[in-house]
Amino acid sequence: MVSRIAPPWVFEIDDLRKSYDGEKWANDGITLRIEPGEVFGLLGPNGAGKTTLVKQVVGLLAPTSGTIELGGYDLVADPDHARQLCSYLPQAPVPIESFKVHEAIELAGRIRGGEKSTVRARTEELIDDLELEEWRDTLGAKLSGGVRRLVGFAMTIVHPAPLVILDEPTNDVDPRRRRLLWERIRRLGDEEVAVILVTHNVLEAEKSVDRLAIIDDGRTVAEGTPSSLKAADRDLLRLQVMLTPGVDDPALPAWLRAEARVGNTLVTTVSEPDVPAGLDWAQGLMTEGVAEEYALGATSLEDVYVRLTTVEAVAS
Amino acid sequence: MTAATIPARRSGVDHWLDAFGNLTRWQVTRLRRLLPITMVVQVLSTTGIVIGMGLLYGDLPPERVLYLTTGAVTISLITVGIVMGPQILSQERISGSAEYMAALPVPRSAATMGWMVLNLVTVLPGIVSALLAATLRYDVELAVSWPIVPAVVLVVFGATMVGVAYAYAIPNPRTVNAVAQLLIFVVFGFSPIAYPAEQLPDWLASAHRWLPFESMAVVIRDGLTDGLATEVGRAYAVLAIWTAAAVALASWSLGRRP
Ligand SMILES: Nc1ncnc2c1ncn2[C@@H]1O[C@H](COP(=O)(O)OP(=O)(O)OP(=O)(O)O)[C@@H](O)[C@H]1O
Ligand SMILES: [Mg+2]
Repeated sequence: MVSRIAPPWVFEIDDLRKSYDGEKWANDGITLRIEPGEVFGLLGPNGAGKTTLVKQVVGLLAPTSGTIELGGYDLVADPDHARQLCSYLPQAPVPIESFKVHEAIELAGRIRGGEKSTVRARTEELIDDLELEEWRDTLGAKLSGGVRRLVGFAMTIVHPAPLVILDEPTNDVDPRRRRLLWERIRRLGDEEVAVILVTHNVLEAEKSVDRLAIIDDGRTVAEGTPSSLKAADRDLLRLQVMLTPGVDDPALPAWLRAEARVGNTLVTTVSEPDVPAGLDWAQGLMTEGVAEEYALGATSLEDVYVRLTTVEAVAS
Repeated sequence: MTAATIPARRSGVDHWLDAFGNLTRWQVTRLRRLLPITMVVQVLSTTGIVIGMGLLYGDLPPERVLYLTTGAVTISLITVGIVMGPQILSQERISGSAEYMAALPVPRSAATMGWMVLNLVTVLPGIVSALLAATLRYDVELAVSWPIVPAVVLVVFGATMVGVAYAYAIPNPRTVNAVAQLLIFVVFGFSPIAYPAEQLPDWLASAHRWLPFESMAVVIRDGLTDGLATEVGRAYAVLAIWTAAAVALASWSLGRRP
């Protein structure tokens, strides 16, 4: 990066706190900064507080404390303006039972303030890009969950506001169209729109977001580019062992770090020099009948994610 | 297209009218299957009241016929605004679509006005058919005069706003449904709409002087008949108060952020 030009505007959340009941914090001091053109991922386990966070941005919830600003405008004080500055795809299905697909997208664009002809052209473009031609004239009530999700996505970005907020857009979408969706999200970045993307799909997010934050229990536990978050894992490899059901857990050598236990799969990390020893150890478990299978691979953002969000769950 | 600069905040009359138009289209499309059915039901029920009572009681004195006819019209206006509307809105709150609408970049008042227009369109065929039925079936003189226009608009507007107000103000949307059911009972059974208040017990008659239902019937009767409606000015005043209170409550509950 040579010299940085100051961005035309920024979106900033500062020390945001939200409690529904006055006791438990659903958001517990979250601070974020996003620039136009950035695709920002928001990751975290169920109940972490991601939806709570974005609902405050679009003015559906009032923060308990903290500030939310876009280009210097106070979104908390002026929720009407906030709704104009944010295009929002909620986590819940969009209510388009009695709309034809193209009607829903077009009308959403008009409601967002788009010109008739621009909106119409962009609707056809999105239907084409997301491979929805087959359903162009189908009523929402007759769509499958994934297609309805894609239509909701198209409705959100047909005339995008400066900040586009997508709460789990890839849910229920098949792998092929998920790829089209990610491409389209990347293009929003090229259009100088800022994107907040809530997702559980860590592997796909790793390839498509510019930066991300991992939220757990209302707090930001990590923030940065995918590669900066993986930096600590640079010389680590992942050794995954599928344990035989019903067998006692094996003792771990000191140089092997347990990361998570998912069902019968034990995920560990091992540094490069210890790899041969690690493979011997895993092979030994197979011979003893303690393990059924093992695999060695590069670490991914998912390992970082799992480590950061399941610390207490792993007894090592 | 570039969004690198922030577009100006949209506001003012043009934006409002734009939003109103788009939101009305949204509502009509959303209820495109329910709307024709509701219209038919309104036509059948208003005509049914007018003709059915004649079958039940044989020859009705003209004054009874006029009460019945104007009452049927009023009941239709009230049912759509205060009973059916809130039932739909409570369903939307439960399904989450109310939240979707709440996040759209439109003034809440424009959305609510779209809703009112929809209510108005729903009841018009029922009004016309009730009047036709009365004229054809009985030998009565309806006297339709210009005050029927403000009367219908005010009653639909008031009923819509009362409906919207309680549909959003009550915390649990399922309670909204229960209240709507209860109101059907009150409106159909125990309100001096299709008959004079004297036929009710005193305490109920005096309660109705301050409830909106009788006043709604009075202003409608005033626009459709000659000399049958009394204390018309007072009825408008009661309606104005209810409408103003409902508008205040509705805008408070629609603007509320949990
Ligand atoms: N309306 C509500 N009233 C009370 N508590 C709520 C409400 N909505 C969410 N919560 C609580 O706030 C916390 C955060 O919920 P939130 O929906 O923001 O999580 P999330 O990160 O979006 O989870 P998911 O990945 O499952 O969508 C949870 O503990 C949840 O139970
Ligand atoms: Mg969520």
